Amino acid sequence: MKKLLVFILLLVFAFAFAGEPKKGGTLVIAHWGDPISFNPDAKIDDAGNGIYGCIFSKLVALDTDYNVIPDLAESWEVSEDGLTYTFHLRKGVKWHDGHPFTSADVVWTFKQIMSHKEAPANRHFRDVASIEAPDDYTVVIKMKKPYAPFLGFLAWYGTYIMPKHLYDITENGSPVDWFNNPHNQNPVGTGPFKFVEWVKGDHVTLEKNPDYFLGEPYLDRIVFKIIPDENTALQAFLNGEVDYDNNVSRAQIDTLKRVPGVVAYLKPGPSRYYMGFNVNRRESPFHNKKVRFAVAHALNKEEIFKKAIKYGQVAEGFYTPAIPWAYNPNAKIPEYNPELAEKLLDEAGYPRKEDGYRFEVTLVYFQGQEWRDMSTIIKEQLDKVGIKVKLEEYEIAAYIEKVLKAGDFDLTVLDGFQGPDPDNLKLRVGTGGDINVMGYSSKEVDDLLEKAGSISDKEKRRELYFKIQEILAEDLPIYPIAEVMYTYVHRDYVKGLPYQMAGVVAYNNYAKTWLDK
Amino acid sequence: MSTFTRYIIRRLISAGVMIYIVMTVNFFIIHAAPGDPVTIMAGIEQPSKEIIEALKKKYGLDKPLIYQYLKYMSNIIRGDLGYSYVYDQPSWTLISERVLPTLVLTLSGSILAFVIGVYLAIFVSHLKLKFGETIASVISYILYATPSFWLALIMILVFSSKLKWFPTSGMFDLRHTYEGFRKLLDFMHHMVLPITTLMLIQMPVFYRVTRASIVQNQNEEYVVTLTAIGVPKEKLFKKYIVKNAILPSITIFGIILGFSITGAALIEIVFAWPGMGRLMLDAIFRRDYQLLLGIYFLMALFISIAMIITDIVIALLDPRIRLT
Repeated sequence: MKKLLVFILLLVFAFAFAGEPKKGGTLVIAHWGDPISFNPDAKIDDAGNGIYGCIFSKLVALDTDYNVIPDLAESWEVSEDGLTYTFHLRKGVKWHDGHPFTSADVVWTFKQIMSHKEAPANRHFRDVASIEAPDDYTVVIKMKKPYAPFLGFLAWYGTYIMPKHLYDITENGSPVDWFNNPHNQNPVGTGPFKFVEWVKGDHVTLEKNPDYFLGEPYLDRIVFKIIPDENTALQAFLNGEVDYDNNVSRAQIDTLKRVPGVVAYLKPGPSRYYMGFNVNRRESPFHNKKVRFAVAHALNKEEIFKKAIKYGQVAEGFYTPAIPWAYNPNAKIPEYNPELAEKLLDEAGYPRKEDGYRFEVTLVYFQGQEWRDMSTIIKEQLDKVGIKVKLEEYEIAAYIEKVLKAGDFDLTVLDGFQGPDPDNLKLRVGTGGDINVMGYSSKEVDDLLEKAGSISDKEKRRELYFKIQEILAEDLPIYPIAEVMYTYVHRDYVKGLPYQMAGVVAYNNYAKTWLDK
Repeated sequence: MSTFTRYIIRRLISAGVMIYIVMTVNFFIIHAAPGDPVTIMAGIEQPSKEIIEALKKKYGLDKPLIYQYLKYMSNIIRGDLGYSYVYDQPSWTLISERVLPTLVLTLSGSILAFVIGVYLAIFVSHLKLKFGETIASVISYILYATPSFWLALIMILVFSSKLKWFPTSGMFDLRHTYEGFRKLLDFMHHMVLPITTLMLIQMPVFYRVTRASIVQNQNEEYVVTLTAIGVPKEKLFKKYIVKNAILPSITIFGIILGFSITGAALIEIVFAWPGMGRLMLDAIFRRDYQLLLGIYFLMALFISIAMIITDIVIALLDPRIRLT
């Protein structure tokens, strides 16, 4: 009830400040890539995910501030022991083809996710014991053991509710897998916009769903115009062919800020740039903690930031400040101090040799100007304390082979989404984690991560994540560099975009967007 | 059996062998590249090992390479171009959606380049103005050395952003939903810049080759002989020199036509034109093996056919060449 009240209040505020929204019009968005398909749960598909939120809904959704907000579920309860989730669904919701939406759709969708090992959300359902629908508007999920981040993951990726009546079909007596369903090209959802057409490589057109459960959308149509090249997208935007440029490069922000009638808004996102040390993958001087600290003292992240990254902010700690409840401001990154770095390297048994260098290492990174710039500056800074750095640039596929799979590097720079819940730290610093390129393994961190993931008391979880960040500051498997800024560039007549509608709609839902012209 | 039929059959057989070799070599080269479609799909944001394994199994990527090769080749023989791992659709479905926009762009661009390039060369040679020739040569050199994506962007900056004559990108004006003739006009309006860019990039080749060939022909002995027996200069130039001089350009045109099916990737990217080039480049980056092989197959097929047609056309134009 409290959640609902807050929700209504936010809605009221949003309208009070935005003025009376106008109806009608077409919003054209420059989108960077084609979706893979319109099956929103089958595969990892970042280009598609930007569009799915208009067509489909979830049980609960994430807003632009990474809060869990109601979507198809009006409200929910979590049992005291954290084992039972009860969702109360909205009544009277219809699929775009007029078929009524019920709990059966939810149960079917989640069971599909559980039976498809390659579904991106599959791993978050690992601890689910059962999914049941006691009636048409209630869904009860029982867990084998408490899993605190479950709600956050349910709101995040690959969990859109799909229409059972169109997907649960058979052909010649055998069920049709969701990969092969014809509606993957012609989606039917419960979201604010209905699918009209997809001309591959050119555009996706949607029209409003007047029966949308959060109220009739203001826009008549949304067109996602696919423009893979950032420069073309910029020109199309400046020439008024598109209203919202979703394919902006950071290098263009300065120019855009000076253009009258253009809004260029920057907002800290829960993603960060960092450098990983080879802690335990193959032979490397960085197995020695002292050497890692020496490097951290030798690096000047202000300079790296100013010259290579430019937008965002310099990293201070070991988790993203964009998810403030879990961010420990006291776990600090070692400060710039080249003298100390030299001293530590001497102590670690790496004196300068005749050529002035102590040892040589590789810094592996993937293609892209910011990575190249970042790596070059790191190379220069480490050169000063006698560490010779050899730069190796790879396209993404080769990078994955070399760094992720083979661990054949000494240093590497990368970025990454840290949300929606700090539980995802398991992937980055947990033993054997999928993106733990460093090969970092700490029993203490693993235990803390496990514990923090299995209790639901947010206060207690915070303490555990704080402790983890302190251990990371002591062990230093990574050197955080900067926090990523998300950029939003659009004409000033476009109002109520998802990023301005925190608490009201999901981060990719344009139901409250309108054109002031 | 006439010589001509026998010639065609022989050419077709050798084309078949050629395509088979091309496909085999490509298959192993593609698979030798680092990475695989599934790992790239999983990305570096959330690359779960379970996802990777499950997808590998689903697509049969866990089987031995030689098994995958035999399976793919047997599919090709049965007319199945394969299955895209990224899009979960038959390769042919994805390719067929792109064929029309691709050919509209590349065929019109190449034909214009051929006609304009050859005519410019003839015109310049015919005028015999040192000045005109220098200008044409300089322009053709500059265009020849210009990267296509850069020229494309300049075209956008000048003709879209500055002069506002043409739209920047895409195939249609998405703010309106035109139908019928109006839609065709809109499509053509969007086509102008990409086609002009492609034409400007390809034109210098035809100009240079034709021009060089004319110069060469003018010094041939038959020209001296014909001049000596009193054939008028005008007739000599139009009837003999030009006819001989455009033969090399026709060969080049044939090759370019063969490649036309694969589009012009860089130009397509800048103009957001949904052509085959973008599909192919994407398939390369994502290691979408079978989609890529499907495109390569079509490319090999098209080039083989274009070469056969070119040879026939040249034989018709040049009686010295016999098809045997």
